[in-house]
Amino acid sequence: MTDDRVVDPGSVTENAPAPIVRVQSVSIRHDDRAASTPSDVTFDVAPGEVVLILGPSGCGKSTLALALNGLVPHAVPAELTGTVTVGGMRTADETVARLSERVAMVFQDPDSQMVTGTLLDEVAFGPENLLVDRAEVLARAEESLRQVGLWERRGDNPDLLSGGGRQRLAIACALAMKTPILVLDEPTANLDPAGIEEVYEVLRRLVDTGDHAIVLVEHNLDAAIDLVDRVIVLDAQGRLAMEGPTRQILINRVDELLRLGVWLPVALLAALRLRDAGITLDPLPLTPRELTTSLDAQDALPTLASSAPDSGVSPAHPADTTGDPNLAVRVTALDLDRGRTRILNGIDLAIERGSFVAIVGTNGAGKTTLLQAIAGVIRAPAGRIQVLGVDPAKANARTLARTIGFVFQNPEHQFIKATVAEELAHGPQLQQIPVDAIETRVSNMLDRFGLQELRDEHPFLLSGGQKRRLSVGTALIDGAPLLALDEPTFGQDRARASELLSLLDELNAEGTTVLVVTHDLQLVAEHCSHILVLDSGRVAAFGPTAPVLASDALESAGLRTPPLARAFREVERHPAWRAVTRLSDLPAGATS
Amino acid sequence: MSQTGASATHQAIDPYAAPRDFGPVRFLHRLNPLSKIVAPLPAMALLLFARDIATPLIFCLFVLLMLVIGAHLRARTLVVLLVVLPLVVAVMSVSFGIWADAALVGDSPVLVEAGPVRFTVGAWLIGLATALRLTAIVLLALIGGLTSTGPDLVRSLVQQLRVPYRLGYTALAAFRFVPRFGHELDVIRQAHRVRGMSDGRGPIAAVARTAGYVVPLLAGAIRHAERVALAMDSRAFGAHPTRTERYLIAFRVRDWVFIVSFWALTAGVFTTAAGLHAIG
Repeated sequence: MTDDRVVDPGSVTENAPAPIVRVQSVSIRHDDRAASTPSDVTFDVAPGEVVLILGPSGCGKSTLALALNGLVPHAVPAELTGTVTVGGMRTADETVARLSERVAMVFQDPDSQMVTGTLLDEVAFGPENLLVDRAEVLARAEESLRQVGLWERRGDNPDLLSGGGRQRLAIACALAMKTPILVLDEPTANLDPAGIEEVYEVLRRLVDTGDHAIVLVEHNLDAAIDLVDRVIVLDAQGRLAMEGPTRQILINRVDELLRLGVWLPVALLAALRLRDAGITLDPLPLTPRELTTSLDAQDALPTLASSAPDSGVSPAHPADTTGDPNLAVRVTALDLDRGRTRILNGIDLAIERGSFVAIVGTNGAGKTTLLQAIAGVIRAPAGRIQVLGVDPAKANARTLARTIGFVFQNPEHQFIKATVAEELAHGPQLQQIPVDAIETRVSNMLDRFGLQELRDEHPFLLSGGQKRRLSVGTALIDGAPLLALDEPTFGQDRARASELLSLLDELNAEGTTVLVVTHDLQLVAEHCSHILVLDSGRVAAFGPTAPVLASDALESAGLRTPPLARAFREVERHPAWRAVTRLSDLPAGATS
Repeated sequence: MSQTGASATHQAIDPYAAPRDFGPVRFLHRLNPLSKIVAPLPAMALLLFARDIATPLIFCLFVLLMLVIGAHLRARTLVVLLVVLPLVVAVMSVSFGIWADAALVGDSPVLVEAGPVRFTVGAWLIGLATALRLTAIVLLALIGGLTSTGPDLVRSLVQQLRVPYRLGYTALAAFRFVPRFGHELDVIRQAHRVRGMSDGRGPIAAVARTAGYVVPLLAGAIRHAERVALAMDSRAFGAHPTRTERYLIAFRVRDWVFIVSFWALTAGVFTTAAGLHAIG
């Protein structure tokens, strides 16, 4: 594959590491902010090197990535001080178009990177803009598409690809620019686990060729970490906190990283928890495979306290509990069609009050449809669903709002009023509650979600996290004991996702039943009490989290076992530990 | 999930589908998209002023014949053109006829009489002329519409009419927004219904409801457009005054022949019709 490449003068100097990216005392201040993030950051990237930028959310990682190809300051309204030099060009002096011959970008959202009608046109788009001649455009397009395994689909519309496929296409588009530098800004944040796997397979092959210096901004360290040569860590103020070889930084300075609020690989988190419990794994593992190996290297491990009760993982839950007051949701023989396609097929389900259920499945398995039918967002056939004694197919909007709160994927979609307080008051007003009672409720809710100071703000002007909290608040304000959320962590960074999940944990602890559709299985593993696996519109498994994760239900439904469960499942010398699926299953130490 | 929704809507009509060649008989596909717009333009303009039945009828039949021979049409389109369209013309002729000014008709055999309303042959003929006029104009527009693709039109606008490519290709990229926004609007509508915004009937409630969709839709649209712009910038869009064109859309002699013959035919039909009118 490397033979027919145009040799770039910058990328062959393996042993003379003149940096290809040079970031010197860079501070960036967005026009609407007071502080600069990043702030006074300096680092170099050598040709062929893979560098990961880490930092808590809001530290300016993505902004820094945009500065590498000149989008900051040329296209994004922000002020940049210091200098960024890429392949010998100072970004401040060149246009983004010129810089695109040095640096190619891959962004988070695959949809917003597609501009043409076929894969081939898409890949050709960049080189065509650079006036590359026609034969060379086609040669580049073919090579790039082959590198990501999409050449056979060159005539298709990009919309026909899966999320992972489209992101691979975005990578091919970047490769076709023939740049020595590749920058990827959260390339997997919008993808499901299968898509993440696809993208990292492609990246792994790219790294192996060594043709590109790669700068990666990524939260999903479980997938990325073994590709990365060096990490650059920013602190919450956007200053350079540490920099060095991956293993050295992650292992030697792990406590500092934790304090900074940087997300760490789950294998490392598990090892840290074990270390606190007096089990020292040396060296500390970074990947699930390393964790497995180092556990097997231990001669003895303590017995696990009490492994989760091995209660039934059943293909279909026993249906002898009609009218059980402990049930929050019961679904009997539910079929649902959309157009001529059957989406749900003979669903039987009984969800107990107070559970925290994750509904998982591949794209098109019917997850969202099931959730929406339970919440009455779409109408199911009457008599099939009971939610706390209410049939959502027949209930009016007011009853429904008192019974179940529904939170859409994008909080903005459900905002209908001009201020935060009015947004919250809307529900109770429909319930025709006396005015002063409404005010008390709204005020309590504002306190509960930390929005009291923002009560007169327009909902659209809130930050992402605040919007999400407000949307949960509006769903709960009518006192619904059941909360349903559709992909609430999709496209969000880890910090915000975990903020939301802690909130759900609290609500759940107070007695709210929570149903959530998601594809983030590790997060699910840490928080949910039950998992419902859907496969082509049927219930493939439903039961308590631990046994479902330990079974092969996920994989046979086309999903991936989350990394921690994968690591422990392969442990050979300590069979009792194979059932560990989440951090809280591990023996707790004095400090955690 | 959002992806599946978007692709489902998109699969039906693919505005980007590659231009195809169906052989020399299906000649319309081999013409430049611009010539298929330019050629029927005079006829469309003149038809606006035609009042008789013969002129639009000639154009209807002529265009239908041209489409059936010269264009590769799907069975469904054929059925619409050959069966549904005449039915629509019939229905329109009656409904336009009802609205026709009775004074224009004068004495004319009565077709239907219901109380004070009399529907005469004369009124029906006026309605038929109007219906045929509209149909002819639509059919003339379909010559280009059914046989060229959006990207090809944009390419020939850029290559022949020297429209700046930044404008043309941005417009093309915006095609992608349509199914996306359609899906987004569905979700917003659903979300608002869940919040109890569907209460209230009548036009005022409907307007209020629709106004409520605008803010979230616009907020999403602007953010999406910004991201698309950044992605296009980083792929050197607008780097040079021109860009490599892999697909050259030629403007050949046959395009001139098509345009000139179409214009000649148009002139012929209108002068003959005018002559007939003068005699009659």
